[in-house]
Amino acid sequence: MSDLFLQVTVSGLLIGGVYALLSIGLTMIFGVVRIINFAHGELMMLAMYLTFWLHTAHGVDPYLSLLVVAPAMFAIGVAIQRLVVQPILEAPALMKVFATVGLYIALQNLALMLFTADFRTIQTPYASASFRIGAISVSEPRLYAFLCAIVMIVALWAFLKFTLVGKALRAVAENRTVSALMGIRVSRLYLLAFGVGSAITGVAGTLLLPFSYVFPTIGSIYTLVAFVVVVLGGMGNMLGAFFGGLFIGLVESFSGTYVSPAIKEAAYFVIFILVLLVRPQGLFGMGKGSEEIGLK
Amino acid sequence: MALLSVQHLSKAFGGLLAVSEVSFEIAPGEILGLIGPNGAGKTTVFNLLSGLLPPTRGAVVFDGHDITGVPTFRRSRLGIGRTFQIVRPFDGMSVLENVMAPILARERHPDQARRQALEVLGRVGLTGEAEADPKNLTLARRKRLEVARALATRPKLLLLDEVLAGLNPVEVQEALPLIRRLRDEGITIFIIEHIMAALMSVSDRVLVMDQGVLIAAGSPAEVTANPRVIEAYLGEEATGA
Amino acid sequence: MTRKLAVPLAGLAALAALPLVVTQSYLLHLVILILFYVALTAAWNILTFSGKVSFGHSAFFGLGAYASTILLVKGGVIPWIGLLAGIAMALIGALTMTVPLLRLRGPMFTLATIAYGEVLRRVAIIWRDLTAGSEGLTIPFDPGFLNMCFTSKAAYYYIFLAFAAVAVGISHWLYHSAIGFHLRATASDEEAAQALGIDTNRVQVVALMWSAGITGALGVFYAQYVYMIDPDLVFSGTLFAIQPALNGIIGGLGTVWGPVLGAVLMTPLGEFLRSYLGHVRQGLNFFIYGMALIVVVMVLPGGIISALAPLRSRLRGAGPRSPGKDVA
Repeated sequence: MSDLFLQVTVSGLLIGGVYALLSIGLTMIFGVVRIINFAHGELMMLAMYLTFWLHTAHGVDPYLSLLVVAPAMFAIGVAIQRLVVQPILEAPALMKVFATVGLYIALQNLALMLFTADFRTIQTPYASASFRIGAISVSEPRLYAFLCAIVMIVALWAFLKFTLVGKALRAVAENRTVSALMGIRVSRLYLLAFGVGSAITGVAGTLLLPFSYVFPTIGSIYTLVAFVVVVLGGMGNMLGAFFGGLFIGLVESFSGTYVSPAIKEAAYFVIFILVLLVRPQGLFGMGKGSEEIGLK
Repeated sequence: MALLSVQHLSKAFGGLLAVSEVSFEIAPGEILGLIGPNGAGKTTVFNLLSGLLPPTRGAVVFDGHDITGVPTFRRSRLGIGRTFQIVRPFDGMSVLENVMAPILARERHPDQARRQALEVLGRVGLTGEAEADPKNLTLARRKRLEVARALATRPKLLLLDEVLAGLNPVEVQEALPLIRRLRDEGITIFIIEHIMAALMSVSDRVLVMDQGVLIAAGSPAEVTANPRVIEAYLGEEATGA
Repeated sequence: MTRKLAVPLAGLAALAALPLVVTQSYLLHLVILILFYVALTAAWNILTFSGKVSFGHSAFFGLGAYASTILLVKGGVIPWIGLLAGIAMALIGALTMTVPLLRLRGPMFTLATIAYGEVLRRVAIIWRDLTAGSEGLTIPFDPGFLNMCFTSKAAYYYIFLAFAAVAVGISHWLYHSAIGFHLRATASDEEAAQALGIDTNRVQVVALMWSAGITGALGVFYAQYVYMIDPDLVFSGTLFAIQPALNGIIGGLGTVWGPVLGAVLMTPLGEFLRSYLGHVRQGLNFFIYGMALIVVVMVLPGGIISALAPLRSRLRGAGPRSPGKDVA
């Protein structure tokens, strides 16, 4: 195997970890609350700006700022669920989508108002540092991002599998009516799911900033990436979102290197459309909730 | 020659066999009843016959044509009409418009369509409610609308899925003559019902399903006396709903 | 029949006289913009009769704009012929890309249409030989009817007025035709519609073709009005995909006049917000826009037209009040 091939694979997997995290955040929200959130990428954008501000105004190292960003994004997620989603829970799915479109327009322009359209990034001492493993060069911030993403994913998995609250979340994702009948406070769990999902998504943003830019419209592209991954992995399927994220990372890396950087995004859109046409249940089969949003 | 012939029809959902090796025939002009405890697979059979579900195995032959792979709308045009257990009138359309919709699939002139729709409404006794919003009708009248829409497609075979469910005894008694009248007009009827007395009084023959399998077939009298049938319904009244 | 036409015809006559009264260039431009969005929104709305909502109509718009402009700039083909090419390209695009997506329901269909629009935008950027990439194409200023190029704004006004009338007219005709009945049935309950003999796939394709074709044609006219096109402009999701959708949603989906109302309200509102608030802080106008959308969904899920309930059945023409008379 050529060195370039290995290099591209490694880069792809590393970014794939972040995409996986982003998409698992979406799956968390969608699986429980059953809403297609067009503003999902904006959660990432908000976290990135927050991280940027903490670093620029207060000199906080991005990985350290996770301690602030994660809870902040949790709170924002809870607020969105309570203020925007909850009042319209009974509306038809399409109307809920439109509300999230309004949200995404509002959030994007809020960022525009607060930070202007300039591309922002942060300079950390390790930003351009990298390891060498054999002939492969591994960029430090990307490696840290990947590792943190893995840690968060494992932590989430453990939370869902072993804690009482986690099991309640899974129950609601499985069947909200029965869960309610069993005494589970469904609306509380919606808040929790949105909060946790937003926090995870926000973390993905923070992990991304050291080697990427933030600007007000960056959210839209990540919303689409998240949906591509989630559909690819099987809507509502956490494991699928994980592998889907890695896969899309690889697609981006390979198409960007072997074809042209300009084609990166076109590549996964095309994959998205192909998956929807050929295998709408995703590569790993659907999790819960797919029927409600139209993938039968 | 049988109007409808069903051979070894089976439907599996993952590991669950909802319908298994069901075979029967319907003769033209008869009223065939289908009963069975909840979960027996009755509505699934209807869905298979109307084409909303593809069968896992088996074949359906209608009026001499093998319609096993034929899409739903084409089956309707071949002459299979169907009502749904939970009535589904079209949103934002009046009673008359609901009935016009299927007619417009074959009739180009809207005035003709309108005339024919009014005619159909007359047959089911809904002429007075032509301009009404289906949401404002009583359940009994919405069920009639459901039947009217299916009639508008000029079916040879009409599948009635629990068309009496939710009606009070008076309404049930009013509905039975309508069903008989439809048969007298030449429509073959296949009817699923839970209200035993009603079904038995209107059917020529009855099929009984339990857990996806056909366990009995015969005249209403034969079927009600059949020990297997009684056993399937153990715990439920054999003569009531 | 004549009574029903009286109001729209009178309105059209009044509108036709407008450029005689309004001569100030900016105001005329604003009215042209409103007419443009009325047409675009009405075209977009046709697809929603089937229950499907697209956020990717910018694909058809851009295809139309590029088809005619490329033919003009590289082949000297007059825009009136280019118009046919634009419509054809939009139809081909719809047939190849969107039709296969029709099997998806609800929000997944909407999401997939976004992807399609974005792919085309990137293709237009990359395929420099054909489209000159991000530099864009410029239409030479050579006034004359054949060139679809005019010195006076009034001429463009009449073109867009005619177009808006045609778009709304087609929309109205479709809504009240047999296809319209079938679309509404499909949108309401696809399975029940199929069980009643309605070929739901075919009617959705028909709606899509009309919707895409008119949108593509509008792209051609737009290019002729602004003289310069580039991928980020004509394939802009915000301007030509989301905006008509927003207009339609706020106005009231699935009706004929709701989207018109939406376009008439939102276009000047958007311009007003942009000129007054855009200076205060960049982004403030759209921020308010976004919040307004959330509020409308919460308070009036049926759109503004649902608040005009007593008027609604008259405007729609269909419904319990006058069956049959409007079935064209």
